[in-house]
Amino acid sequence: MEKQTIKIGLPRAMLYYRYRVLWRTFFQELGMETVVSAPTDRETLERGTALAIDEACLSLKIYLGHVAALVGKCDYILAPRVSNFGRHRAMCTRFEAMPDLVRNVFRNERQEFLSYEVDEEMKKAGEEDAFLEMGKGLGFPAKAVKKAYKAAKKAELSHHRERVQKYEQQYKKEGLKVLIAAHSYVAEDPYMGRMVSDYLKRVGVVPVRADMVDRDAALKRSRELSPTCKWEISREILGGIAMHKDDVDGIILLSAFPCGPDAMVNELITRRVKGVPMLNLVLDSQSGTAGVETRLESFIDIIRFQEGKL
Amino acid sequence: MAEVKTRSVSFPRYAQYNCAFKYIVEQALGCKYVMPPALTKRTMELGTKYSPDFVCTPFKTILGSMIEALEAGADTLLMTHGLCRLGYYGELAEQILRDLGYQFDFINLSDYDMSKKKEYIRIVRRFNPKVNYARFLVQFMEGLRMTEYVDDITCEYYKNCGFDATDGQYRRAYQDFLTAMYTAQGRNDVEAGYRAAKRSLQSIPLDKPQRPLRVGVVGEFYTAMDAFSNLELEQKLADMGVEVHRWMNVTNQFLRYGSGQKNLKVKIQDLSAYDMGPTATANIWYARECAERGYDGLVHIKSAACTPEIDVMPVLQNISADYKIPVLYLTYDAQTSDVGLMTRLEAFYDMIDMRKKVL
Repeated sequence: MEKQTIKIGLPRAMLYYRYRVLWRTFFQELGMETVVSAPTDRETLERGTALAIDEACLSLKIYLGHVAALVGKCDYILAPRVSNFGRHRAMCTRFEAMPDLVRNVFRNERQEFLSYEVDEEMKKAGEEDAFLEMGKGLGFPAKAVKKAYKAAKKAELSHHRERVQKYEQQYKKEGLKVLIAAHSYVAEDPYMGRMVSDYLKRVGVVPVRADMVDRDAALKRSRELSPTCKWEISREILGGIAMHKDDVDGIILLSAFPCGPDAMVNELITRRVKGVPMLNLVLDSQSGTAGVETRLESFIDIIRFQEGKL
Repeated sequence: MAEVKTRSVSFPRYAQYNCAFKYIVEQALGCKYVMPPALTKRTMELGTKYSPDFVCTPFKTILGSMIEALEAGADTLLMTHGLCRLGYYGELAEQILRDLGYQFDFINLSDYDMSKKKEYIRIVRRFNPKVNYARFLVQFMEGLRMTEYVDDITCEYYKNCGFDATDGQYRRAYQDFLTAMYTAQGRNDVEAGYRAAKRSLQSIPLDKPQRPLRVGVVGEFYTAMDAFSNLELEQKLADMGVEVHRWMNVTNQFLRYGSGQKNLKVKIQDLSAYDMGPTATANIWYARECAERGYDGLVHIKSAACTPEIDVMPVLQNISADYKIPVLYLTYDAQTSDVGLMTRLEAFYDMIDMRKKVL
């Protein structure tokens, strides 16, 4: 009898944008199938909002909408606990809560969830150990799991390197360049950051991404702007700003309401980064793009006016 | 060699723990302690004015309290590290205060790697390079003991103060105890103050029904414990004739379970397999504990935008459904009004009181 392939559901939100290559390659290397939820639309957000606590951030609402879309369509939905990669390299506590959070929200559904735990500071559990344990838990031999992880990590790193190189090219382009400082799941979600970068492109501005930089270098450079910043992704963004603030005409601090780390880090950035026009844009679940576009338009006008191009 | 100036140290107001900070700074570290003024509306206005909009409310409270401490004469501020956004409070608060023009020395524990024992010595030496380590250890332990006493007496107070049969002796005894702690100069004062409070609380007659209403309080580490920040929720509930129980305090969270809460985890594996946040395990464990003991209700307290406690709420909703225990969810921000809270508390009280009579 042929063995049924295991199907893993990947919600297209939150850490998906950071780990999609790692996850997909890992599961496929082990002969599993992955299903990804469809890009965010109005319905995703509405379903997620109904499932979430009112005060949760927009990103979590969207995430829960994606999880809901996958319920019943796969054997497992992946919901890892990524707590930290060491001291001052933490994730927002929401990523610590994620596996238990989804299990509690969806406990009346017959849906299995799959988790792995990265917590170097408290439990000395690195990413490789976490994947090894997850793979063994699914019934694969340790050797195969290790091999799959190695291949997946390699693919992830080279994918990131390629994207960084692509973005480095953007700085050489003609015209106004604006640095978008945002978590990848905000910047790349069609219902959040994508409308910002789409608008910028439409009006002839080149959008670049603060987090699309060499991650190790960014972690080091982040200390120039904030010596005690404790969040991995915020530090990558801070490092990206430190590296590129002189290569751009403006910076957009883009966050999802009410992002915990951004609420503090963005305040610090506006106090410490001087000499570059900056727009603090907080996205909530708006139904149209007009409000955001008005603010972007006036920001671009200000930059052009300051540079004497208006 | 030039005389080393004695520091005037302050730490923002935090529940009833400033007596212990004062004791440790003065008796263990040999510095002066500047007691920040009690939290008021002014503190909140100051804090809110200079804070980013959607930072959690304790940041605003603490920033306001730091400004008031500097006005009161502090030259050194201490800020702690922490597992949630608290760990970043220090750097941002310092930047805001410096931008405003305040001058002070800032000791931010987030600057130190607190997993290394050597770092503790560096911190102590920063407060006072000539510190006497023998004295420091003895007095530091006494300061921790004071913290335990404060938690013990506070716990007993809110459990019984709603049933005081006299004209307010119970409340006075609690306040006398706090005064004793805030003025303690040495070990004897601390021990005598605690014993006197224990004796008087036990001797004051109570008028308590056989089966009083019992409510468990869970929630975020600052707002759930700080009476000003939660608009004296525990006193208000107690005054309606309720036994108020709260597990969450410094003693339970840090002094007894400082090395991890593995044993609290055991009973809640089905609800939370991992640690969901800094205080999540304890809160979920205690909420289920209250439900299993047949308490009449739970109150969940958090400040606006507290990420870890928002994430605990779906678990509490499940506990509520499983055990049929009502939960009142309260979010506090800088604008939360006394009247609004009272209305919600009265409705909650009426509901649990009616349920008790029916069930």
